[in-house]
Amino acid sequence: MASASQVAEPVLPPRSEVGVAGWARENLFGSWYSGILTVVSAAAVVLAIWFGLRWTLMSANWDVVGIIGGRFIIGGYNTDQACPGNDCFWRPQAALLMVTALLGMLWVVAAGGVVKRVAIAAAAAAALSAFLPYSMERMGLDVRLLLLANVPALAIGWALARYTPLGTGRWVAVYGVVVFLLTIILLRGSSDISFAAGPLRLHIPMPDLLRPVPTLYWGGLTLNLLLAVAGIAMSLPLGIALALGRRSHLPVVKILCVIFIEVFRGVPLITILFMSQHLVPLAFPENFPRNSLFSAGVMITLFSSAYMAENIRGGLQSLHPGQAEAARALGLAGWQTTLFISLPQAVRNVIPTIVGQFISLFKDTSLVYIIGMVDIVEIGRTFILGNPEYRVSTKEVFIFISIVFWAFTYGMSYVSRQLERTLGVGER
Amino acid sequence: MTTEESPAAEDIIICRDVHKWFGSFHALRGITTSVSAGEVVVVIGPSGSGKSTFIRTINRLEHHQRGQIIVDGFEMTDDVRNIDAIRREVGMVFQSFNLFPHLTVMRNITLAPTKVRHTPMADAEDAAMELLERVGIPEQADKYPGELSGGQQQRVAIARALAMQPKIMLFDEPTSALDPEMIKEVLEVMQELAASQMTIVAVTHELGFAREVSDRIVMFDEGQIVEDLPPDDFFNNPRHERVRHFLSQIL
Repeated sequence: MASASQVAEPVLPPRSEVGVAGWARENLFGSWYSGILTVVSAAAVVLAIWFGLRWTLMSANWDVVGIIGGRFIIGGYNTDQACPGNDCFWRPQAALLMVTALLGMLWVVAAGGVVKRVAIAAAAAAALSAFLPYSMERMGLDVRLLLLANVPALAIGWALARYTPLGTGRWVAVYGVVVFLLTIILLRGSSDISFAAGPLRLHIPMPDLLRPVPTLYWGGLTLNLLLAVAGIAMSLPLGIALALGRRSHLPVVKILCVIFIEVFRGVPLITILFMSQHLVPLAFPENFPRNSLFSAGVMITLFSSAYMAENIRGGLQSLHPGQAEAARALGLAGWQTTLFISLPQAVRNVIPTIVGQFISLFKDTSLVYIIGMVDIVEIGRTFILGNPEYRVSTKEVFIFISIVFWAFTYGMSYVSRQLERTLGVGER
Repeated sequence: MTTEESPAAEDIIICRDVHKWFGSFHALRGITTSVSAGEVVVVIGPSGSGKSTFIRTINRLEHHQRGQIIVDGFEMTDDVRNIDAIRREVGMVFQSFNLFPHLTVMRNITLAPTKVRHTPMADAEDAAMELLERVGIPEQADKYPGELSGGQQQRVAIARALAMQPKIMLFDEPTSALDPEMIKEVLEVMQELAASQMTIVAVTHELGFAREVSDRIVMFDEGQIVEDLPPDDFFNNPRHERVRHFLSQIL
């Protein structure tokens, strides 16, 4: 090689630019005001941690959380009015076991380690709560064993997906729907079923263990989660349908979707919930049993799907028109272009907003207290109101509830971040 | 071609007095021309002359408002069945590639054959692999479009269009978005395609390609065809002053 065209060897950057010292110089003390900001913020953080920890560990009296205990989770479900005999606790626990098994199956089906971590964390949390330092009278051996059973349930779900043909996304989705319906049936219970049609007479006696528990008594975190899961599962497909409808070339479809979206976005959720008990029954036959939980679920879903529709529409609009053109030029029909080309890209572009909407839906479920349902926040509030001697512990109660909400919503955004990373493969 | 007759005997694209308006802008003003099977036609012209609009009317990405376009015996009307039938027979390559970024290269190519022609996946993948070898990038099959260079992406786009086994290929400025060193690799693929008796209509500014490969050069200006000659005549003795002027500007 000629010496004139000598290529400079790459060299490392100066030492002051790399390592901890370089990073701190660059980011924390880059200029005099940056330095001041760093010092002031550091002081604020230290003070906050100091006083926060001191209060948490020394002043705060967390007994109240233990006293409310399981009611945070299932509300008044196992009380004397709801379930005479107080032997209904196993029903939500059985539902939890089914969910854990579902997580075990998802662990196998879903790529990436996210679901694995979530599944293990959920099963571990359930199993560890079997060792809570309650007396055997307050938390019996049966309750503890059912909680511990979450570990084998996870293993069974995992094994089912791993070693049987059930381990496909489609079957897990089917099982997911079955789990949801079984949960509702299990929690609801049933009286004896009598059925008479002409000569056919059927009488199915129900065991006493499955005596009906009115939805009025469903409460606590279970209620929040039920509403959130149903709302999330239904509002995504509904939102997609509304978004596509709003972009439709058929004027009637388009106008109906626009009206739906604008009406539900334009009214506060609280108002919608107030109206739910009167409006939802109008959509059903008169002899259809009225149920405020069902009405609330429907309204939360519709409310959320209006927002979801606009999120999805934003995603659709962010696509280059050349994408649909290329698909049409290949001979794909309009619906195929939407299904295989537009929607997957649109949804992936707006995953952060969609998850934001899910998180907000989950938190909004506590608004059902407005129609007399007792969610986890309302459990805490009514306990304080009913037991003035614990009024001093109000802070502790609500901080505990905040932590519970935070744990779930953080889990959601964690899963969403991992999902974005997995789906973002090769996209630049 | 399985038919014994000479390709030129059969007009596969026929346009009669085609008009197209965008709002009140008269984009195509009475286009009458035809392309016979196996012919390679290069369309050139200044920007805004309607050349892209013209080839987009051939597979009805734009619809014309007056006149007649008959492709492979089907008249282009609002009849969706005709449009879908035509789009299966006409492949298109775009200036901006328009690969599907969420699908691998392999899936980009097999999507239409499996969903539209209902080709079994294994067969479609074999065919896709052959096409990728033909365009020279079999090793990129499992990558995503975003991981490829522009030239590679455009070659995948050509393979994707060819996977539907089209009778006609439309190219809409296929090299305009590419760096100079990548233009060559795409032109080579197009050249090979032209040699294989494919009917090609290409909008391009690559005059070298036009001179070497095309059977005819059609020049558009202000929504009309102003010249339609074999390449030798087009470059050496064009009939219109406007052609001379255009050539002097881009040569």
